[in-house]
Amino acid sequence: MRSERAVANVSELPTVVFGSRGLVWWGTVSFMVIEGFTMALTAMTYLYLRKNFDSWPPHRTPRPSLLVPTINMAIMLASLPLAWWTKQAAERIDLAKVRIGLLASTLVSVVVLGLRIAEFWSLETQWNSDAYGSIIWVILGFHATILLVDVFETAGFTAIMYSPNREPKHWPEVADNAGYWFFAVLSWVPLYLLVFIGPRVM
Amino acid sequence: MSAPTRNLPVPLDDSAALTELERIWAPRRGFRGWLTSVDHKSIAKRYIVTALIMFLLAGLEAAAMRAQLSRPENTLVGPDMYNQLFSMHGTTMMFLFAVPIMIAVGLYLVPLMVGTRNVAFPRLNACGYWVYLIGAILLYAGFAVNSGPEAGWFAYVPLSGPQYSAGKRTDIWAQMITFTEIAGLIAATQLIVTILKQRAPGMSLNRVPIFVWGMLVTAFMVIFAMPSVAVGSQYLAMDRLISTHFFNPAEGGDALLWQHMFWFFGHPEVYIMFIPGTAIVSALLPAFTRRSVFGYHAVVLSMIATGFIGFGLWVHHMFAAPVPQLGQSLFTAASTMIAIPNGIQIFCWIATIWTGRPIFRTPLLFAIGGIVIFIAGGLTGVMIASIPFDLQVHDTYFIVAHFHYIILGGVVLPLFAGIYYWFPKVTGRLLSETLGKLHFWLMFVGVNVTFFPMHQLGMEGMPRRVYTYLEGTGWGDLNLVATIGAVTIFASVMTFLANVVSAYVRGERAPDNPWDAPTLEWATTSPPAAFNFRNIPVVESGAPLWDHPAELPVVTGLRTDRREVLLTTALDAVPDARHAHPGDSIWPFMLAVAIGIFFITLIFTPWGFVIGTVLSMIAFGIWAWPRGHHDAELLELPRDAAAAGATDRARSEVLR
Amino acid sequence: MLQAPRYAQQSMIDPAGPKAAAVYDFWLFLIVTSAVVFVVVVGALLFGALKRRPRAPERAVPVDAEHRVARIVGGAVAATALILAVFLTLNWKLERAIAAPKQGNVLTVDVIGHQWWWEIQYPDSLNVSNWISTANEVHIPVNRPVRLRMTSRDVIHSFWVPNLSGKKDLVPGRVTETWFQADTPGVYRGQCAEFCGHQHANMALLVIAHRPDEFREWVAAARAPASEPYDSLRQAGKQVFLAGSCSLCHSVSGTPAYGRVGPDLTHVGSRRTIAAGTLPNTRGHMAGWILDPQRIKPGAYMPPNGLEPSQLNALLAYLEGLK
Ligand code: HEA
Ligand code: HEA
Ligand code: CUA
Ligand SMILES: [Cu+2]
Repeated sequence: MRSERAVANVSELPTVVFGSRGLVWWGTVSFMVIEGFTMALTAMTYLYLRKNFDSWPPHRTPRPSLLVPTINMAIMLASLPLAWWTKQAAERIDLAKVRIGLLASTLVSVVVLGLRIAEFWSLETQWNSDAYGSIIWVILGFHATILLVDVFETAGFTAIMYSPNREPKHWPEVADNAGYWFFAVLSWVPLYLLVFIGPRVM
Repeated sequence: MSAPTRNLPVPLDDSAALTELERIWAPRRGFRGWLTSVDHKSIAKRYIVTALIMFLLAGLEAAAMRAQLSRPENTLVGPDMYNQLFSMHGTTMMFLFAVPIMIAVGLYLVPLMVGTRNVAFPRLNACGYWVYLIGAILLYAGFAVNSGPEAGWFAYVPLSGPQYSAGKRTDIWAQMITFTEIAGLIAATQLIVTILKQRAPGMSLNRVPIFVWGMLVTAFMVIFAMPSVAVGSQYLAMDRLISTHFFNPAEGGDALLWQHMFWFFGHPEVYIMFIPGTAIVSALLPAFTRRSVFGYHAVVLSMIATGFIGFGLWVHHMFAAPVPQLGQSLFTAASTMIAIPNGIQIFCWIATIWTGRPIFRTPLLFAIGGIVIFIAGGLTGVMIASIPFDLQVHDTYFIVAHFHYIILGGVVLPLFAGIYYWFPKVTGRLLSETLGKLHFWLMFVGVNVTFFPMHQLGMEGMPRRVYTYLEGTGWGDLNLVATIGAVTIFASVMTFLANVVSAYVRGERAPDNPWDAPTLEWATTSPPAAFNFRNIPVVESGAPLWDHPAELPVVTGLRTDRREVLLTTALDAVPDARHAHPGDSIWPFMLAVAIGIFFITLIFTPWGFVIGTVLSMIAFGIWAWPRGHHDAELLELPRDAAAAGATDRARSEVLR
Repeated sequence: MLQAPRYAQQSMIDPAGPKAAAVYDFWLFLIVTSAVVFVVVVGALLFGALKRRPRAPERAVPVDAEHRVARIVGGAVAATALILAVFLTLNWKLERAIAAPKQGNVLTVDVIGHQWWWEIQYPDSLNVSNWISTANEVHIPVNRPVRLRMTSRDVIHSFWVPNLSGKKDLVPGRVTETWFQADTPGVYRGQCAEFCGHQHANMALLVIAHRPDEFREWVAAARAPASEPYDSLRQAGKQVFLAGSCSLCHSVSGTPAYGRVGPDLTHVGSRRTIAAGTLPNTRGHMAGWILDPQRIKPGAYMPPNGLEPSQLNALLAYLEGLK
């Protein structure tokens, strides 16, 4: 090893930083890009398959019903302020508020995931009836796995925030997790329009 | 340098700190340590060794094909075996050798070149390797029980669909794709975050080594290319397993959808393996021409341009398919445009060699030989970008010639150049120059003898993927020549293996910087310590070791009693935070096993989804669950810091 | 040992029609330009590497030298762009030139891909009973453009006769089109170019270009129903054909054999090859093929047929008579 000459000391630097200053934020953003692009690909598949059919939805397939999916979309959008509030609480290192926020967020994602399962019935067709059925099942299914991941993570962070083992590094991670919910919800908006409104206008 | 100046640098010859560093970063001992290590170097070494084994296996498959084709109407292997052979060869070379090995070279070198201690997410990194390994084992286990893929490396539907590919052959292939894509995406994330956030202080973007730029571009390409084939292969698996109809025209599906999804990945894929190849050439030229690469900005911008344009070429693989003519012509234009950035790189290398003082050691020979072969392959690439000409040679041996030329010249020879160049750093031993030069000449000659005749074969009408051909076609002689060439390549690879073995047995010990190279990986010991650098180096130009031949400027103050790395800002690399890295753990391995169970069970039953999800959650839950620390700096943050409404930076200072 | 029939060499550098010839001319341009570029660039690389150098200080390159080199590199990039522009222009002209046949009076032929043979049909818009159905041989008149309408019954195949035209895929569920034209009478071999399974290697076809009068004769013969067996041996052969499994997969017009799985055999006796260009159509090869197709084309969908020697003899006589 070469001889060294010290030119600066970094021991003063913080060890817990929020947002793009930290590593976890970058990791989360990478995964959002990957998952977002994956969803974009399923959406492109949907549009590509459209041209193989005369009518959309195909003959004798009813349009997807709107009730449950719309309620779910509304719940998702309505829950965004909660996620924002939780994120801010984490950034202020406010344990009591973070705990409340996380508990509520877990509850919301569980409800959304439950409604998502019901949404499969709203599609009014099966994955194996035709290509239309296949792609809308996959669009819903892939986004459902994102919801599932979010349930798992949010529940996990809730547990951690109640555990004596929690560490300072978890504060930015909780904030990033709240950011992930924004991604989960906002990425659903175009897909919701595509799957549920699309057959009414295409 | 805007590091805090309040504290004076701590004394440097603190051997207690060094001992502590060694203890903290050392992997556990024995087999357990091997399973639990999260050191980027040991993981990358495994990756590289596994990928090289894959290269040997795929090469043996190629040898078997060449033996079968050496004369007309040969009966060495039948069609069923032959189809598996070329599918295995192509799949292995592309998915299990070329891309993984290039990314692994990046995983080894990038942290060293940017002056940090490990990649950004060490545990995830370990997990990625295991997932890749499971994919490789799955593919070869299938092949061993006569269930190797049979529809080629791009597995066109409907041939690969439920109707025409019975049994589990294609299912295994599709899941193997998923494994390698997961591994690739994990590695890409590592590289991007490591490069953007963990660079040595002072390594602003315009001082980042070209090699690291190449890996950054590659990683971004991986992120946008791989999801496409991962989704496509899941559509295929679902069509086969649960009767969806993505590719079934009878129910509104579309065979061309697969082609688009595959090639939207498949074309960028070739640059994913080729850009690291060029990055290796750019990395070693300075050491062997005694000057830094001519036109740093031009080379970097060329790589970025290649990365962008590379996403606009995929339809040139589908010129014979029913795709609208006008659309196709745009892809011709894009395919020719990409010759410009590629040309710029080559011209810059020539300028570097021309104005430098070349030293003809083995790495430089491989680099120059690679460039020559690559140019030939690139020129045929531009030829087949023309639709009318491509329609004549598409799916013939002309294409086989094009891509072997460009891959051998742009990927394999540069890779060997890199292996000769960095072997002393990685192992602490020097490879023999004599054997190295023999390896080079055998390979250079062998590649040309094998693949040059294939151009002519293609124009004379020999389609690819034929297990035999009739005597009357007159293709026998050229095929025999090609087979002789393959034997020569085989001999060259044997020479390489002999060289490696003898280096391990009685190789000369390597000094830290045997080539007097300018980049940071040569500043540390050979092989590097587990923590890479005793103190994090500070960089003032693109050639730090040439700036300060005698001593290395460093920053001090990272804690040595836990695994700590320095975070810097993304653009200017100003020190910004310290970050604690996780320790070794068995759970990344366990998570990989759970993912393995997930997709392998899916081959047989949709319940794999449920079983796999539950197992993965358990594994990841245990992995991520905090174990509790009693470290002063890790205690609960003071509540009043936030109440004071401090900014991030100020608050962070309160954390002390 | 199988023996390939003698045909014109299957090759794109031996064009026999205007479309292939135009591509051939462009190919000449490509080869020459590429060779020049290769020699210049590799020459510069090797010269730069091997030239003799004065003893000079290490590393340092004088700034003015660096500028001069930058100009040369810039020039090389400009030259590259120029060559590519010429390439694109010529390519674009070529694309337009061969996009469609120049003259009218186009002959339409339908091609249907099967694993691993070609079904060829000549539709007649006026009279359905005039349709011609054959296999693995496309008969065309010279100097008249031929339009192919193609699809596939199973997987993707690709139609390619290099002496006449580049390839076009046959995709299930879609109809694709291409065209070509032959200038000189002759036999041009083509081969399936998209990997399609076990016998992709043995999925060839012949394009037979006739003088116009010969072509009219061929059409007349091809439209005729199968010739009736005129001796007892052939009569017996017909019985073997109809009673055995042959008729489940093959059809012979004018008989109850209406199978659609394998090639139409109405005029099989007049074809030059069997098994999609794999074997010359001789009695011996036909016998070997009927008895055990799997030995010749492993994986093909035709099962082996255990026939008594007398039955086989009669069957061969019958098939030979189907001119
Ligand atoms: C490392 C891998 C790699 C790389 C870098 C490339 C690079 C290029 N490839 Fe290739 N290609 C493959 C791997 C690669 N390819 C593979 C594997 C296949 C087949 C897949 C399969 O079917 O199995 C394929 C197939 C393929 C096809 C489809 C052929 C077919 O199936 O019919 C086409 C068509 O356009 C094509 C074009 C090009 C072009 C234009 C480039 C360009 O990027 C080349 C640019 C480089 C140069 C031109 C040389 C350097 C430049 C100069 C010296 C300047 C002077 C040059 C001029 C004036 C022209 N490639
Ligand atoms: C990285 C990419 C890569 C590389 C490096 C190679 C390398 C080689 N390839 Fe490959 N090839 C492909 C990617 C690659 N190929 C792809 C994508 C296809 C298309 C597949 C498809 O159509 O689907 C293809 C197809 C292909 C074909 C066409 C098959 C067909 O269409 O029918 C042929 C035929 O000759 C061939 C030959 C070779 C040869 C001789 C080598 C040689 O360079 C190999 C040299 C290596 C060796 C000879 C190994 C030496 C081994 C030892 C020394 C072993 C010692 C063993 C122990 C100690 C255990 N390749
Ligand atoms: Cu049909 Cu290949
Ligand atoms: Cu390509």
